[in-house]
Amino acid sequence: MRPEAGERDDAVLLRAVARGDEGALAALYDRHAGWLTVRLARRCAMPDVVDHAVQDTFLAVWREAGAYRGGGDVAAFIWGIGIRRLIDAIRRENSPRRLRWRAAEPETVVSAEDQVLAGLEHGRLGQALAGLSPELRGAIEATVLDGLTCAEAAVLLGVAEGTVKSRCHRARVALRAALAGQQAGPGTTAYHQGAWGTS
Amino acid sequence: MDEMTLNVSTAAVRVDGLSRRYGAIRALGGVDLTLERGITGLLGPNGAGKTTLLSILATVSEPDAGRVSVLGLDPGDGAERVEIRRRLGYLPQELRYHRHFTVAAFLDYVAILKEITDRRRRVEEVARVLAVTGLEDRARSRIRALSGGMRQRLGIAQALLGGPELLILDEPTAGLDPEQRLRFRELLSDLPGDPAIVLSTHQADDIAAICPQVIVLLHGRVHFAGAPAGLAGTAAGRVWAADERDGRAHLSWRGGDGRWRHIGEQPPDGAELVTPTVEDGYLLLSHAAGAR
Amino acid sequence: MTSSFPGAAGPAAGAAWHAGEDLLASYAAGTAGAVASWSVEAHLAGCASCRTELSAQVDAERLARNRSVLLLRAAVGDGGRVRRLLRRCGVSDHVLSLLAATPSLRASWLLSVVAVVAVVAGEAAAVSYGWIPGGGPAAGHPGPAALAPFLLVAPLLVLAGVAAAFLPVFDPAWRLAAAAPFSGFTLLLVRAVCALGAALVPVTGVAFALPGPGWLPVALLLPSLALSAFALAAATVMDPRAAAVTTAVLWALPVLWLASADVPLLIVAPQAQFACAAVLCACAVVLYLRRDRFELGWMR
Repeated sequence: MRPEAGERDDAVLLRAVARGDEGALAALYDRHAGWLTVRLARRCAMPDVVDHAVQDTFLAVWREAGAYRGGGDVAAFIWGIGIRRLIDAIRRENSPRRLRWRAAEPETVVSAEDQVLAGLEHGRLGQALAGLSPELRGAIEATVLDGLTCAEAAVLLGVAEGTVKSRCHRARVALRAALAGQQAGPGTTAYHQGAWGTS
Repeated sequence: MDEMTLNVSTAAVRVDGLSRRYGAIRALGGVDLTLERGITGLLGPNGAGKTTLLSILATVSEPDAGRVSVLGLDPGDGAERVEIRRRLGYLPQELRYHRHFTVAAFLDYVAILKEITDRRRRVEEVARVLAVTGLEDRARSRIRALSGGMRQRLGIAQALLGGPELLILDEPTAGLDPEQRLRFRELLSDLPGDPAIVLSTHQADDIAAICPQVIVLLHGRVHFAGAPAGLAGTAAGRVWAADERDGRAHLSWRGGDGRWRHIGEQPPDGAELVTPTVEDGYLLLSHAAGAR
Repeated sequence: MTSSFPGAAGPAAGAAWHAGEDLLASYAAGTAGAVASWSVEAHLAGCASCRTELSAQVDAERLARNRSVLLLRAAVGDGGRVRRLLRRCGVSDHVLSLLAATPSLRASWLLSVVAVVAVVAGEAAAVSYGWIPGGGPAAGHPGPAALAPFLLVAPLLVLAGVAAAFLPVFDPAWRLAAAAPFSGFTLLLVRAVCALGAALVPVTGVAFALPGPGWLPVALLLPSLALSAFALAAATVMDPRAAAVTTAVLWALPVLWLASADVPLLIVAPQAQFACAAVLCACAVVLYLRRDRFELGWMR
């Protein structure tokens, strides 16, 4: 199945959902819940909160399918809803046992394929990113990759909004420096010991 | 033969000298029994005291005399009674439903009665029992629009809310056709969480199909407690077939093949003995108890 | 989302690269590094076949569980408008479900109450205003005797609403409630209080429209409360149905007797109000002291 054909099917499904077709909702879930669950789980370490967010996402799709105007792919539409539902779920949870980062975040690239990816797909930028400390990387991921506002990122990361802003700033500084040629190879420690501090 | 102790160490229910009257009628007279984990069938005719016994175990009514222990707790003590109720699932006889309720709304209501006050947990529990009983497509249907078989499945579903350790089912197969009864038995044999189950019935083939233990209750007393094979065994040598009706038999009927089946204390010499079934054993006991 | 990331070559841009099974597996397990994960996510945004492959790596039971919850919530919705409004006002959702099971809070019951009270009050008003002939003084003057039917019926309607909250005959699934851990007394109170309130609204409202003393609507409050409390307290000592009937009779007899003596309004006179208040307090105490009775089920 070529990606383009899959997207057309998704748009058809979404229109069916907008008409109130529960079977279409189930089909859409079967297609998209898998990646959504994993992607949200990478941003929140509490599985029940992720489960609630996934349920709420597809419920929101059920109610707001009419709002989808056909621009952009369905997966992006679902992700946009999903990340915000996750933030809502985290806000409701408000529990001190929040963990934004998995305890054992591996710094090293796992497989040969990953190395190729880091090298080829993102080149120096990828290596520079890998060199950031987890907190800075998290801030970049939330604001740049996921497109959240600083307030939303603050909820997701479990820190104050000001902290998010300062982390983003420090991350950008670090990245620019890295891209400007101050690479220290695989030695991520150089960044940690540099002017940018450890977090 | 009023007392028979089965595998004691894992007993779900222990009853000692239980008695209960309704006015002049003695519903239960000195019942002693021990129920272990697994499925137990309570067999007896209408009026034998099955519903009374089950409602006492379900903490819905109180005995006049005797001691009861359910899941190791005493229903006579207020706090322990609530704890029993938390671990219990009960399907009363001929359960009737509020006229206006849909399946989902009814299950939501029962879930609250089982103290699942958090809305999210409640929805998850309701979805879970609907999936187990195969009623997911009927969540929105009004209960009065459901068939008899589906209503019984709904009865099981509400009993399963909260994941009980003990299920008490009063005549769950009454009014079901054979196919529905078969599906019901399949459902019971494969419940998640593996609760102890006590179900009452007046049909011996329900027992034979799924119950590793059976208790025969007649006129408010226990007349047999053990495996179904044992119950069938009590009629060994007392069931015979013949081409003609035999007056010496207590019970006789004509089978589909045209031959007569007789149950009696003393078969005639040279009679063609047949292997007794659970039902034969039950009928024999029932007749003996009635004669007393 | 991915295009805002500077420098990302974006495998979705025409490249034939697909995420390998190992990479997807480690991504699903959360063991792929950050950059690799970002690449995967960027790719998945545009590749349906890799999304399907990833789904196979996710815990099937978890997906199925969320699916059934989703479909149930989609099918059932959030409750009607009334429920959503009450939830917004801060009433907990589980209380609303309990109330939904109370017959005397359903639209059909409340409409019947309104109908009955309207008929009775209408008749009383008609007689008082002289539109139809009735006993009592000259037409045109509100005769107290005309109010007797209303005085009889109004508190009884409230009592009926409360009775429907605790009599097993009104709850087809009462044995389930009896065998459940939820406190029987709490259930009873929640239902009875709401039924009381719901019934008092039409009764009091109509009383304002009636001719007669201005304090009539308020005067019905204490007798209604006293009757309800008495019925509940009596239910702890006798059979619930008998308790309800006894209470009704204990109201009807004095009202009818006073009506026959042509002084029906004495039933709501200050002395009677004091008596009602005393009964209310005494019964509330009895009810509280004997509340365990409601935990035991109703089979005796």
